[in-house]
Amino acid sequence: MNKKNFLVVDDSATFRQLLCMSLTRLEGITQGDITEAVDGADALSKVRDSQFDLVLTDIRMPNMDGLEFVNKVRTELRRTELPIIIISTKGADEDIEKGMSLGATGYLSKPIQMSKLRELVTNCLQAEA
Amino acid sequence: MTQKTEEILTLFSKSEELLEMFRKGRAFTEELMSENERLRYRIVQLEREKIDLSDTLMREVERLRLENGQMSQKLEFLDSRFQRVEAENKDFAQRYVEVEEQNESLANLYVASHRLHSTLDPAEVVQCIKEILVNMIGSEEFGLFVVDDETSELVLAGYEGEIAQRLDRGRVAFGEGLEGMVAQSGQAFFTEDAGELGEVCACIPLKIKERVVGVIAMYKLLPHKGGLTSLDHRLLELMAGHAASALVSSKLYALADRKLRTIEGFMNLLRVR
Repeated sequence: MNKKNFLVVDDSATFRQLLCMSLTRLEGITQGDITEAVDGADALSKVRDSQFDLVLTDIRMPNMDGLEFVNKVRTELRRTELPIIIISTKGADEDIEKGMSLGATGYLSKPIQMSKLRELVTNCLQAEA
Repeated sequence: MTQKTEEILTLFSKSEELLEMFRKGRAFTEELMSENERLRYRIVQLEREKIDLSDTLMREVERLRLENGQMSQKLEFLDSRFQRVEAENKDFAQRYVEVEEQNESLANLYVASHRLHSTLDPAEVVQCIKEILVNMIGSEEFGLFVVDDETSELVLAGYEGEIAQRLDRGRVAFGEGLEGMVAQSGQAFFTEDAGELGEVCACIPLKIKERVVGVIAMYKLLPHKGGLTSLDHRLLELMAGHAASALVSSKLYALADRKLRTIEGFMNLLRVR
């Protein structure tokens, strides 16, 4: 089974750590590397340089926010196949709609529920395969 | 004479014919009687067979009835067993979900405590508490207060949203308002239900043993967070313990560091002179 590499993007170190821990606890997914990025710009350079199977990004971040990051991955890097899950602090708001229209694969709301994370990650990875 | 003889012969011939007819009739009657006897015997035989068959049928029906009764009992038993196993299965599934939730909370608590104790900078500790309240608890508006020992007041050290900003000078006296009452009593306060827009009033004291060093007041939850569960309450109380010790130790470290720098500066000054 192929190991899956994840990229976690959030300016909050606490949330990144929490998300990394949640991803390592996912059943049925062979873990590869989990890389962390502090904002959209950092994430963009990492996507450019490395191969990831899934990206989880917060929306509101300094320097480059999650929406701009999604847009650049889809348009500049032309990585349309890379699943990107956007994470919003508020529930179903404009940010989520905008993110989905820019090409995000799915969305989650904070605080993240493990069951929803598992379901979405599994669906994204299956669709990618 | 000849005519008489002919008549006698004719009569004789007719009597012979009649006799023959009687013989045939007798043979036929005997045959009929024999057939009748055979048929009567056959009827008796069939009657006997019918009775035997009826007995066998009755026995078979009885046996099947018994078997049916046993099968019904078995079915009933299996049905009740199935119901029991299904109930157990549901119970296990429910327990699995609960254990999963507890695992999630423990993982959250581990990350929270790890982050809180990973720095000795008071500002970073405050930032960390804010991140925990937003990302793990799902609080949209809250205030973090620390106790000012000199004035016995709660001082607003960090906040999110507009509600905490409304406080006069960012200070609350002990015993005043919900924050002050919680600081004075040392008892956490939770409301039962969240409001329609996710407003909830939860106030948790930050305590080191019995000493209150601060208060976290949560004014509003994120819209999609329906309310605080009992697990959230427990998590908040445990996290508050870690936050309290992280806040105090970082403040003490900052104070000691500042004093050390002052002394070092003073020593350097003396050395120069």
